[in-house]
Amino acid sequence: MQPQRLPAGGRIDRSKPISFRFDGRKLEGYAGDTLASALLANGVSIVGRSFKLRRPRGIVGSGAEEPNAIMQIGKGAHAQPNLRATQVELYNGLVARTTKGWPGARFDIGAINDLFGKVFSAGFYYKTFMRPKSWWRLYERIIRASAGFGRAPTEKDPDRYEHRNAHCDVLVAGGGPAGLAAALVAGQAGARVILADAQNEFGGSLLGTKHSIGDARADEWIARTVEQLAALDNVTLLPRSTVFGYYDHNFLAIAERCTDHLPEEERTGVRQRLWRVRAKQVVLAQGAFERPLAFCNNDRPGVMLASAVSRYIRRYAVRPGKRAVVFTNNDSAYETAIDLAEAGAAVVIVDSRMGGAGSVAERAANAGISMLTGHIVTDVVGRRRVRGVRVAGWSGNPSYLVESSIRIECDLLAMSGGWSPAVHLHSQAGGSNEWDTDRLCFVPGAATQANVSAGACNGMWSLRDCLREGMESGRAAASRCGFDAADVDLPTTRQGHDNPPQPLWRVPADAEPERCPKQFLDFQNDTSVADIRLAVREGYRNVEHVKRYTALGFGTDQGKLGNIIGMAVLAECLGKSIPEVGTTTFRPAFTPVSFGVGAGENVGDLYDPVRKTAIHEWHVAAGAPMENVGQWHRPWYFPRDGEDLHAAVARECLAARQSLGIMDASTLGKIDARGRDVVEFLERVYTHNVGKMKVGRCAYGIMLGEDGMVLDDGVMARLGEEHFYLTTTTGGAANVLAWLESWLQTEWPELEVFLTSLTDHFSTIAVVGPNSRKVLEKVGCSIDLGKDGFPFMTVKEAELGGYPVQLFRVSFSGELAFEINIDSGYALAMWETVMAAGEEYGITPYGTESMHVLRAEKGFVIVGQDTDGSVTPVDLGMNWLLSKDKDYLGKRSLARPDCVRSDRKQLVGLLSSDNSTVLPEGTQLVEVPDAPVPVPMCGHVTSSYMSACLGHPIALALVAGGRVRKGETVYAAMPGREPLPVTIAAPVFYDPKGERQHV
Amino acid sequence: MSESLVRRHGLESLLAGMPGSPSADPGVSVTIRGDLGHINVRGNAEGTGFVKSVEQVLGQALPIRPNTVSAGQHQVFWLGPDEWLVATPSGVAAELAGRLKHASTGIHASVNDISGGQIALMLQGPKCRDLLARGCTLDLHPGVFAVGDCAQSGLAKANVVLALVDDKPTFMVVVRRSFSDYLYRWLAHAGSDDGVTFRDA
Repeated sequence: MQPQRLPAGGRIDRSKPISFRFDGRKLEGYAGDTLASALLANGVSIVGRSFKLRRPRGIVGSGAEEPNAIMQIGKGAHAQPNLRATQVELYNGLVARTTKGWPGARFDIGAINDLFGKVFSAGFYYKTFMRPKSWWRLYERIIRASAGFGRAPTEKDPDRYEHRNAHCDVLVAGGGPAGLAAALVAGQAGARVILADAQNEFGGSLLGTKHSIGDARADEWIARTVEQLAALDNVTLLPRSTVFGYYDHNFLAIAERCTDHLPEEERTGVRQRLWRVRAKQVVLAQGAFERPLAFCNNDRPGVMLASAVSRYIRRYAVRPGKRAVVFTNNDSAYETAIDLAEAGAAVVIVDSRMGGAGSVAERAANAGISMLTGHIVTDVVGRRRVRGVRVAGWSGNPSYLVESSIRIECDLLAMSGGWSPAVHLHSQAGGSNEWDTDRLCFVPGAATQANVSAGACNGMWSLRDCLREGMESGRAAASRCGFDAADVDLPTTRQGHDNPPQPLWRVPADAEPERCPKQFLDFQNDTSVADIRLAVREGYRNVEHVKRYTALGFGTDQGKLGNIIGMAVLAECLGKSIPEVGTTTFRPAFTPVSFGVGAGENVGDLYDPVRKTAIHEWHVAAGAPMENVGQWHRPWYFPRDGEDLHAAVARECLAARQSLGIMDASTLGKIDARGRDVVEFLERVYTHNVGKMKVGRCAYGIMLGEDGMVLDDGVMARLGEEHFYLTTTTGGAANVLAWLESWLQTEWPELEVFLTSLTDHFSTIAVVGPNSRKVLEKVGCSIDLGKDGFPFMTVKEAELGGYPVQLFRVSFSGELAFEINIDSGYALAMWETVMAAGEEYGITPYGTESMHVLRAEKGFVIVGQDTDGSVTPVDLGMNWLLSKDKDYLGKRSLARPDCVRSDRKQLVGLLSSDNSTVLPEGTQLVEVPDAPVPVPMCGHVTSSYMSACLGHPIALALVAGGRVRKGETVYAAMPGREPLPVTIAAPVFYDPKGERQHV
Repeated sequence: MSESLVRRHGLESLLAGMPGSPSADPGVSVTIRGDLGHINVRGNAEGTGFVKSVEQVLGQALPIRPNTVSAGQHQVFWLGPDEWLVATPSGVAAELAGRLKHASTGIHASVNDISGGQIALMLQGPKCRDLLARGCTLDLHPGVFAVGDCAQSGLAKANVVLALVDDKPTFMVVVRRSFSDYLYRWLAHAGSDDGVTFRDA
């Protein structure tokens, strides 16, 4: 049933067959397969369609570099788009869908694009979809529908993801031979080691190979090493974990896939985990990527990377073809040829080098493989599957045009254009890369952080060098953390390859790239040699610009396959060397990371902290909807019997004005300030004369920024000669404390003042209305609450209902009112006590909305609502708060010419001419409603409410020169209706003399 | 103050909503220490007699080495070069705060009873470090963060004072009251695989 499966070998478990679905077809593989290896075993050759041209595409690679086999995995809410089949472990019931092609990848209507390939050249989108401009919306819909890989599930993600912080001495990224050796040496030295590897099992490129290490076979050596590592308490092994980001200060991010490899019904617990690692030392050992070669039709299904072919044969016991051509410019692909021959395939090696390979050529010859040296593959025959290749002799001249070629029949072409170290993390960390002209690749240059590259990702190709570098880097990293590693003997391994690779990128064809079949560089984005040449002809020179114009290196594989040959082709076009052209920037993430793992536990209720007052539960039980105020949840209003917001607010406001209201004001910022120099300090930050306040007095104060603009406001109280209590706005609490501390600590350290936040310690209950005194007396207060004994704007320590409290006679409503500061541990009890005592007065709890209406009726501003950082106290009419006898922050700015303009926007009241329209907050005000557009604006509405006690709407606004314009009419411009005339009034609508609060 | 007043820490209803019969051997057990009072003490550690007068009242040393705790009759946490937190049974906190205020008269110092503003949670059990690592960026390895160490840091998105009390291990986490509901929910969620349980002191 699995036609391409070998009868024996591989690291699959033939006793555990696994069934899965691919585009609706039921297929079978084995435990240990990836989706890609299982598809190949089943002879599936088309796994997708290309991005623009919709050419059929097959599996090319065997890991993160795979550009074509991009699948939608799983069903419903569990589905994951964008996964590379080469990295998806097979599990029972897996459902995979191709993501390109309609109706499917095997037959795709869009393939017609390929016939017009010349039209779909680099910059196609920029050239085609620009005109007519108004059609862009239509274009965008079509482009979006045809672009992309897969669909994000629309259901809520039912899975759990988590974040985890970790620290270690040595983080080893990559668990191949170099990484295993490094981790073992460092771990045995006693260092705290984390070893992370993207695959399901450690071993990397070594898995399934015939190598011997010392006296052990490769697989035995891996098993033994992993066992030794697992036995060490100081080593954390993370398989299925991709180190995807390397940030500053040796901070690295790892995405661990915990349950994605299990059948959906067997998954429990966390699905994916984000490790945030702070490492003292990092060993990078992620290996290398094999490069393709840019010959004509090099994207046909059945053209694969040579190393991938070897891996499918050795690790997964899958032979991707029976008659194979191996096209190479280096020695390593000879091993693939030998693997193919041993798997029973007929093999021909086409080596571009005149001299062919070194010692490995002899082994290939012994395996009965024929070799054509000094030859190249120029073209591929076959559309839906390789049927043959055209091969021509070549002398090494890059501008050569092929005159005659022979055809070799085959169903598999294994290509190798050499190797590129995975310098991604090294580069993300800020390290440079250097072009190595012998090895023909960028190798890591100087590191800027505490990291070292070892093994293939440092350009070391032989197993012996990988093990040696792994051990050395592990020892060095441990030693830099203070751990001495014992000497370890390097085990004996077979020698590596000897003949150097040949520079070969764009493979000569029988015509120039523009006139021959496409020679692809980036398979995922359909970027070909001709596209790069076109970009250069059109004036692009910088590699970053060429990337964006041609899409080279975009997409999920981020150029892991095609970038280097793309840059080599660009260098050729520009007549520059490859290092002169350079690489594009390597950015996180190394491979795509799910949104879920990025969010971790910060979703739903835990997305952001909800701060709750000590009385919160009571509000919830009373049915109050909550309003977000900063991170706080505050009750918005307390609806009764199906009331809406307006009805509830009208009732609440009237109750506070006529009898008794109660409000939870606990979210106010509260600061204890004391010390010998506290008066001097407060004089500098508040605008009024703080020193003149008597002990026991309260005052309204504002503070300004250095620019003279209102920063925050609140009531302060003098509790002692050298002791004050300050309040801030709810939203400003943390910022104000930090602002004050920064002045104390950095500018005025000579002042002896200590500030302590009491925001959470005290809960504040405002008892408001004509009956507020009576209710407190009824609760039982240890002090005289009378008008003379406890006058307006004073504070006293008291016992109220048996609880110690701070009692303030302050009012944010203009009514007789008290604010109770009580230890939050007793706040709910106090609230309930006052509620019970107030029953006979119809005590009415009210929320933020009524609080806003009550204060607006009195013209009290809210910093941040009626001000926006560009409003001075003079604009607000608060000149009376500005002391002339002292200096304070922002004072000098108030004298700037701009701050004394008479036409600055000033706070006024507004009355709607129709006596019924509540102006939307933010409404713009204009002088002449029918002036030609753009109509000059003269102000805007900052607060606006229906006033129940006045029986008409009221608004506060900032109007240019407004203070001297009382009685004049301006117009409120509202979308969709006629401008409404509004009359400028004083900002105090209710009890302008302030008599009600002085009773 | 009347002795009969009953303090609420505010997490009572979350506790009441917990599933019954928590596992006998939880990976992490969280004890809500609503019975602890908190006093914030500020003063200059150098030269003014502040340390001596405070230590006389406390009957134990004021930790001067950064990020350490002095454990005795009270637990005293170093918060900054001029700031400490004294944790003590809530029944005596107000009285202790009064004595500290009195002792520092005439010295540049500030003493505030902030018992209503903070809640201490004790986390105990073999999975403590795993759970804390999910929300705290500090290295809590026993070789790095030892018994007697404390730190101000973040746990999930709340600011906390964190201390290692003993090597069972027991961690003390002090959080501002308004964030305690959030932190409780976060611990319950993040610790669900570790069988986290909650109880009142």
